[in-house]
Amino acid sequence: MSATFWAMGGYARFVWPCFGLAALVFAWNLWSARRHYAAARLKVERALAMSASEGA
Amino acid sequence: MSRVGAFAALRLVVVRELKLAFRRPDQLLQPLVFFLMVTTLFPLGLNLRLSLLREIGPGVLWVAALLASMLSLDALFRNDAEDGTLEQLALSGHGLTVIVVAKTLAHWLVSGAALVLVSPLVATALAIPVEAFPVMAASLTLGSLALSWLGAIGAGLTVGAKRGNVLLSLIVLPLAMPLLIFGAAAIDRVIGGGDASGPLYLLAALCTFATTLAPFAAAAALRITLE
Amino acid sequence: MWTWFYKLASPPAVFRTAGRLAPWFLGAAALAIAYGTVDGLAFAPPDYQQGDAFRIVYVHAPSAWLSLFAYVSMALAGGIALVWRIKVGHAVAAAAAPIGASFTVLALVTGSLWGRPMWGTYWAWDPRLTSELILLFLYAGVMSLRGAFEEAARGDRAAALLAVVGVVNVPIIHYSVQWWNSLHQGATVAKIGKPAMAPSMLWPLLAMLLGFMLFYGGVLCMRLRGEVLSRERQAAWVRELMQARSER
Repeated sequence: MSATFWAMGGYARFVWPCFGLAALVFAWNLWSARRHYAAARLKVERALAMSASEGA
Repeated sequence: MSRVGAFAALRLVVVRELKLAFRRPDQLLQPLVFFLMVTTLFPLGLNLRLSLLREIGPGVLWVAALLASMLSLDALFRNDAEDGTLEQLALSGHGLTVIVVAKTLAHWLVSGAALVLVSPLVATALAIPVEAFPVMAASLTLGSLALSWLGAIGAGLTVGAKRGNVLLSLIVLPLAMPLLIFGAAAIDRVIGGGDASGPLYLLAALCTFATTLAPFAAAAALRITLE
Repeated sequence: MWTWFYKLASPPAVFRTAGRLAPWFLGAAALAIAYGTVDGLAFAPPDYQQGDAFRIVYVHAPSAWLSLFAYVSMALAGGIALVWRIKVGHAVAAAAAPIGASFTVLALVTGSLWGRPMWGTYWAWDPRLTSELILLFLYAGVMSLRGAFEEAARGDRAAALLAVVGVVNVPIIHYSVQWWNSLHQGATVAKIGKPAMAPSMLWPLLAMLLGFMLFYGGVLCMRLRGEVLSRERQAAWVRELMQARSER
């Protein structure tokens, strides 16, 4: 990895933020999908616990 | 119970809507006053640089007309939906589509057509030359009619929503952007001495397209929110 | 004849299939994007006009394409759900919206970062970027309409109808914005994304395109699982599933 590669022909301050932001958007999507699933699971478990305590 | 044809039903609903509208003249006038007010804001904000005003006049006129139309749109179905009139009309056997067409046309007569009537006043204030008035009236007529159809879809979708009014603008304005583009461009061209028929034809095409499809979409929207 | 379809579209089947597919989609996406990024950044030759700035195309074009694809797929899923009353369609549409919106934002920001060296300004009312901005507004409308009702089912159907109306409008908006732009600006705007591209530049772009689509598929599956689970939390199969998991 030479310095010329990182310099991107003088456009480094435009090219690298683009790829950085893309990585950010990808990470956000993964994180948010996981959180979405976890929240849904928590809701189901709560409903389950409620019905279990009612049944007892 | 007498059987009435679809067109008779259409006329009856339009007449009813117009009567109701003229019974509340303040609600009729408020959007028009808003239209005038927004166009007053621009010269004030531009510190009376009249040459600049002349250039942006058509755009300002159209944006103000769009915003003013948004104001009255929320009431298109809301009152009738809340007191159950809409359900009665829907049960009248003529189908929701006829009712939607009638209500939207009546709404356009008291909002869109009224804006067209006031527009010369606003245009004079915005330094739009008199020669451009016919094109301006045509563009506003076609544009506001198309906008009423889009608005009917939006109003149908938000009639049962919790906070309808802002949401309605959020939904309708992006869909209305092509109207703004062609409408303002038509006036712009005729002021510049050019030929305005291109954008006017496109506007007419959009208006026809909206008139054919939007009633069904708006009726479907109402069915979703009323069911 | 359609029974297989309904069986496939039943919530438990969708939940299971989505869970099975997600890792494959994401794994393939990682491969395609890794290849596209390395080849695009390090090995593709610089553009003769734009120099190395053109490399932004490798994130801008796929995200712009994906933003549109996600919108159309959202409208399609919503339309299917409306017409045939298949509830899972609403779940797919609800899962697709935030993903599509996030890539719309990415396309806008990268387009603007690309615009700075090419046009000398971050925002030049370029027709593609303007359409992209309006697309973001359409996403915002659909997403807020879904949450605006007391009953979730009503919001689902209203959002689906709006998405369908929006999809009819997308080409109209696109062409009207292009027409509008041709009035105001001449050939001063540098063209983003040329039709003819050298193969050494094109391959990484195609890989990125594929990778973005696969990523969308994977994240959509993940989101869809959460969406199905929370919509079906009263259903017996969800209870059984959860009980089986907690016993293990």
